[in-house]
Amino acid sequence: MRKACLYPSFASVALWASVRLLAAVGLLAAVALLPACTVLPSPETSAARWPPGSAAPRESAPQPPYPAVPAPGPLAPSRPAPFALGPASSALVAQAHAQTSAQDYALAAATIERALRIEPGNPLLWIELGRIRLREGNTAQAEGLGRKALALATGDPAAQSSAQRLIAQSQRGGTALVRP
Amino acid sequence: MLYLDRLVTRQFEGRRWTLPAQVYAAPLEIYAGLPLSGSEFERELRRLRYRRVDQLAGTGTYRISGTRIDVALRPARFAEESRGAAILTLLVDAGGIRDIRDSAGSAVPVARLEPLLIGSIFPIHGEDRIVVRPAEVPPLLPAALKAVEDRNFETHHGVDPAAILRALWVDLRAGQIEQGGSTLTQQLAKSYFLDSRQTLSRKLREAIMAIALDAHFSKADLMNAYINEIFLGQDGARAIHGFGLASQFYFGKPLAELDLPETALLVAIVRGPSYYDPRRHAERARARRDLVLAILAERGVVSPGQAAAAARRPLGITARPAGIYYPAYLDLVRRTLRRDYREQDLTEAGLSIYTDLEPRAQEQAERALDQELARLDHAHRHAGAALDGAVVVTSPQSGEVIALVGGRNVGYDGFNRALDARRSMGSLVKPFIYLAALETGRYTAATIVQDAPVALPLGNGRVWRPENFTRQTNGPVPLVRALADSLNLATVGVGLAIGLPKVAQTLQRFGLERAPAQVPAMLLGAVDVTPFEAAQLYNGLANGGFRTPLRAVREVVDEQGKALKAFPLEVTPVTSPENVYQIDRMLEQVMVHGTGRPAGALLPPGLVVAGKTGTSSDYRDSWFAGFSGSHLAVVWVGYDDNHPTGLTGSAGALPVWARLMAGLGTTSWQAPMPESLVDTRIDYATGLPLAAGCPGDAVPIAVPAGTVLPTPADCAGISPDTLIERAGKWLHDLVH
Repeated sequence: MRKACLYPSFASVALWASVRLLAAVGLLAAVALLPACTVLPSPETSAARWPPGSAAPRESAPQPPYPAVPAPGPLAPSRPAPFALGPASSALVAQAHAQTSAQDYALAAATIERALRIEPGNPLLWIELGRIRLREGNTAQAEGLGRKALALATGDPAAQSSAQRLIAQSQRGGTALVRP
Repeated sequence: MLYLDRLVTRQFEGRRWTLPAQVYAAPLEIYAGLPLSGSEFERELRRLRYRRVDQLAGTGTYRISGTRIDVALRPARFAEESRGAAILTLLVDAGGIRDIRDSAGSAVPVARLEPLLIGSIFPIHGEDRIVVRPAEVPPLLPAALKAVEDRNFETHHGVDPAAILRALWVDLRAGQIEQGGSTLTQQLAKSYFLDSRQTLSRKLREAIMAIALDAHFSKADLMNAYINEIFLGQDGARAIHGFGLASQFYFGKPLAELDLPETALLVAIVRGPSYYDPRRHAERARARRDLVLAILAERGVVSPGQAAAAARRPLGITARPAGIYYPAYLDLVRRTLRRDYREQDLTEAGLSIYTDLEPRAQEQAERALDQELARLDHAHRHAGAALDGAVVVTSPQSGEVIALVGGRNVGYDGFNRALDARRSMGSLVKPFIYLAALETGRYTAATIVQDAPVALPLGNGRVWRPENFTRQTNGPVPLVRALADSLNLATVGVGLAIGLPKVAQTLQRFGLERAPAQVPAMLLGAVDVTPFEAAQLYNGLANGGFRTPLRAVREVVDEQGKALKAFPLEVTPVTSPENVYQIDRMLEQVMVHGTGRPAGALLPPGLVVAGKTGTSSDYRDSWFAGFSGSHLAVVWVGYDDNHPTGLTGSAGALPVWARLMAGLGTTSWQAPMPESLVDTRIDYATGLPLAAGCPGDAVPIAVPAGTVLPTPADCAGISPDTLIERAGKWLHDLVH
């Protein structure tokens, strides 16, 4: 075995003391917790140690360093920009607001549903629908819609807090005026 | 006589036709940015029977020049509002719609085409009609009817003695009944009250009733009644009554848009809808149409030139009758409404029902099923019975059912497998077992589970020994592989460890209505579901963990346009976003590494999807349930008599699903990763972590941050035994 690095003298003394006191499992933990001291095996030993059953990489995993596995979508939690409404959704939301002011909540909800068909992944629209449900007194649905918005709003703090406000309001059971 | 008089007035007074409910598909929403090509948009216009012209001429026409499309939209009624006719100008290129403007040049952010009429719910006795008001009737029609059927309509009193005598003369000379001699009013009376037996006493009663009608009601009312009442064709069990529906049935467009030859054909059909059926007896129909045109020219209703030009035109009828186009979907609509409406309300009150059906998606689903089953037929036929199947397609976020296929014989209104074929769900159950496992907090996608033989005493002396499909065992495997490779033994191990009640409860949370029998076989899918129920369950996995009841109907509106019932979007969280995301990532690996891999060859390159194959015991049911960023589809393939097919989910249902997804123009699955999760990679076969530079089949998974995985120290794949052994040796070296 090649040693990959030199040990500080303190560590040596500590390990020496551990030999007397600790079980093999304790040593195992110590080894694992010293990343700077990973031990590199020689090539022959590595081949011999290759776990059975995984001898050959599959065709779908062609080359090192990482096999080419298709990326599963945005891995980074943060979006490049905060959520906004597209022009079609904006027009529909404006219509829904007018309908809400006229207390035509069913109509307003149907208008938001139209927008949701265009942008189903936009948390702002789910929040709009949740606010309408609050106005209608449907706090259970308002909360569900708020949670939906929250799940979609990952990476956008403004949208997240909007969603959380909606959830809080629905839990308080308020049908009072909803501040945007 | 008095009795007949009273009958006439009472029946006619309330204008009580039985008005079947008209059912509409989802209207196409258009907006700048919609990835709909020019030719796709044109296809939607033609589906609605818009005509392509060089110059816009009235509603129902469109014009294309380069990337510019001008459309004269028809007036439309939607669930929540009406809209008058409008002219829109679109700029469309290969990427989609770039711009929409109205006739004043202002930008239009969003607009809709009128919804396609997909059918009606008509009563048991089979009458179906679309009522047209006088304003919707082109003047040519009443003029033509009078000219051909009843010259003295305006002046006689219900019966026309001159016409009767004339007819008698003609009939005597011909030796048979050739001319009717009946006025329009008499025909109306006959249609309203009597059957079509032509006895003398019948004709007498008919005449008396016609006189009574004429005495009580105006000519205009009688003409309108006639136009809406007269029998004009038969479509299976459905009797086509009235020119409004006949226009749709034969030409696929509203009455107001019919031209001269088309109107003439309908007037020609009046005399004998079966005899002059333009689809079955085109020659006869054409001959009579041309005769009608000649009469119109003779009577001065149209010019001889117009008549001659019209006679040169082909019949122009549509190949398929518009109407019962999507019986499986209509079936779902009917069942949805039956809960709240009596059959009578549905079939008589003139309701408008707005649904979520997307005709494009429906056609893709029908085609995919048909093509793949035809391909499979060659190798899989037993006792003359053919494979059949069902498809359900939803928009997962809203739970809207956008397509439903009840069997491969799509025009046939028969057994609706999507709603009624209750079959064992097989491996389709597994994601819910693994989700329940994640919810305990004791499992992650990287957890090593044992794919080892199981022998479970069942308490009655028998022992349950399930097996993997391959009949092999795989030893320790990571959870993600157990799901992706659909390993029965590993699944049973996990399921028994978390307990059957938890699995049952998970299924019910996601929408399974009937409590499943809590037997160990439940873990391998001994749970009966219909394809529709399976779609409900998987919809929750596809939309981020919410139970959203599947809907086919958006709204029901009465004859006056007043909203009667809406089916609003409802979401109820049924698991945490973290858990569903982890499961969805594992289901993605089903498609990349596991039993769903064959789909890759049929899908557009780079499309990210997730799903699960399902095969029930003895290969009786072949399932696939999977989703993209915008669609969820469940496919079932099997024999109606439950005979084994020999097809796994990958071999039978998966190709149908993949073809469907490829044809839908769908988007990649791209849910945001919850902030408390991290990405990592493990070796697919063993579950051990893989460091950079190491050979191995790496599978990306999402696990909760802080999940303890052994640090990848070398490429040998560290197992605890190896580590202890090596540490011992190292220590030995250190000491000595």
